[in-house]
Amino acid sequence: MKLLEVVDFGIEFHDHDRPEQVVEGVNFSLEQGGILGIVGESGSGKSMTALAIAGLLPRKKLKKEGHIYFEGKDVLRMDRTELRELQGDEICMIFQEPQSCLNPVMRIGPQVEEALRVHRKEMSAEERRARALERLRDVELTDAERVYDSYPHELSGGMRQRVMIAAAMVGSPHLLIADEPTTALDVTVQAQIIQLLKRLNEDEKLAILFISHDLSLIRQISHSVLVMQHGKLVESGPVERIFEDPQEEYTKNLIAAIPKVKL
Amino acid sequence: MKYFFRKLISMLLTLLAVSFIVFAAFAVIPGDAAVSRLGSNATEESVAALRAEMGLDRPFLERYLSWLGDCVKGDFGTSISYGMPVGQLILDKLPITLTMTVLSLILTVGLSVPIALLMCKYARSRFDRSMYGLNQFVMSIPAFFLGILLTWFFGMVLKWFRPGGYVSYKKDFGAFLGYLLLPAIAIAIPKCAMSVKLLRSAVLTEADKEYVRTAYSRGMSTMEVLYRHVLKNALIPLITFWGMTVADMIAGSIVVEQVFNIPGLGRILLTSISRRDYPVVEGIILLIAVVVLLVNFLVDILYRKVDPRLEDQG
Ligand SMILES: Nc1ncnc2c1ncn2[C@@H]1O[C@H](COP(=O)(O)OP(=O)(O)O)[C@@H](O)[C@H]1O
Ligand SMILES: [Mg+2]
Repeated sequence: MKLLEVVDFGIEFHDHDRPEQVVEGVNFSLEQGGILGIVGESGSGKSMTALAIAGLLPRKKLKKEGHIYFEGKDVLRMDRTELRELQGDEICMIFQEPQSCLNPVMRIGPQVEEALRVHRKEMSAEERRARALERLRDVELTDAERVYDSYPHELSGGMRQRVMIAAAMVGSPHLLIADEPTTALDVTVQAQIIQLLKRLNEDEKLAILFISHDLSLIRQISHSVLVMQHGKLVESGPVERIFEDPQEEYTKNLIAAIPKVKL
Repeated sequence: MKYFFRKLISMLLTLLAVSFIVFAAFAVIPGDAAVSRLGSNATEESVAALRAEMGLDRPFLERYLSWLGDCVKGDFGTSISYGMPVGQLILDKLPITLTMTVLSLILTVGLSVPIALLMCKYARSRFDRSMYGLNQFVMSIPAFFLGILLTWFFGMVLKWFRPGGYVSYKKDFGAFLGYLLLPAIAIAIPKCAMSVKLLRSAVLTEADKEYVRTAYSRGMSTMEVLYRHVLKNALIPLITFWGMTVADMIAGSIVVEQVFNIPGLGRILLTSISRRDYPVVEGIILLIAVVVLLVNFLVDILYRKVDPRLEDQG
């Protein structure tokens, strides 16, 4: 069984006068422990697709079509209770702006532990703290104790994104969805975060859905690639095939536009 | 530390200004303590004699400075109409007004938080909209009128208590609290409505932020997200409002004490104004100024506690 299987997936917004189809007929799948990169220009529906998988789309004013099977069960047809059991435990998500994704008035520690507090009710406060500190060290935050007691504004952008990854990984999920996780970071930090994600993928058999508008990043990290445009799938396949033998004109143009220095 | 020192200096300066204005007000407004004590058909000689005895014939600045010096030493003078030291008179009545204010504040905060969160949980639903309408309406009812309504309903219709009855806190603290509950509710209801309105909008603003989506991505329920994440952020603007509310409640208690026949500070303030009993009025106004300044100071400390981003600044 595939970890994730998206079948004929679509989203139609109904919050204006006319319904607006922002994602349409998307099909793809992701193996246990695989890394799938989704690439496309801004507005192509990448984030909407990611939020749908994580069960974070609003319930009102939009229509979801098709199926999103996670470990065989359709996320789109789960009730809220079933969904909440997956969220933070099996499926985790990190976002573009680690700054605004952390609660500014809460210390880092409780935020990293949060998924445990929600899903592992049997764990004591000390066990949770120990686990959080372990995870903070796993994401290469050497001064884990200090970070644990810090507030978000006291950390750098790169440290904050590491904290977000630690918080996502605290419950050992099967799938990590990373929506433009390095877009807000500078280039050196970007490379470190990519290395970290690759290591977590290898060490923990963590499947990653990596979303970016940056083809060179997608090439560095992905096992397979999905190209999207205007809410539709352009083409998909193993990373070597997409980059060495693109079939579609759109993909060829994207690859041709990558600055040569980065390759 | 430097911040608190600066704050302390500014508080003392404010207090000095208040004391001067209060003292000057009695020199400017028409009416005279000696006349009001002797009655309007007293002879000019007897009024002059009494004025001399009370020290009213000395120059204004001299009178102000000697009064200020006494105040600093803790002597606020002697009440003209009650014939007892102002300090003792106030200290006797202060617990009544203070208890009523604290009770109102607890009711305001304790009720507005869950109501606002519940409205936010069902934001823009029919429940939220009808609560919003009700809230707008309640906000505009003055506390004294609510007091009259509550007295009529609970006192005359349900006969749960005897209107106008009052038990001293020295005699039976429980019964005393019971009597203060209705006046406190009367003061709290409009303030609570205002808090609900502010808090609802603050919560809805916060709820759109990305850290809320992150909290949801960890499998938390809406109420958990609201209480654990959104509330503390949304309370930051409310702290200032509640601080101002305390000052407002003390002022409001003056009127509400009349409605419920409670012998608190408000009562002696009103009688003292009409009798030109200026030492009492001056003492009470100074006290109110001190309370307002203290509350402001507390708000500042609380602000820094809630929002860690402020702690690093001046
Ligand atoms: N509330 C909404 N109503 C209508 N359209 C929306 C709404 N939110 C997002 N969209 C549209 O959905 C499309 C896909 O957005 P998104 O998934 O964020 O793109 P990407 O992440 O690829 O940049 C965009 O064209 C955007 O304008
Ligand atoms: Mg996006």
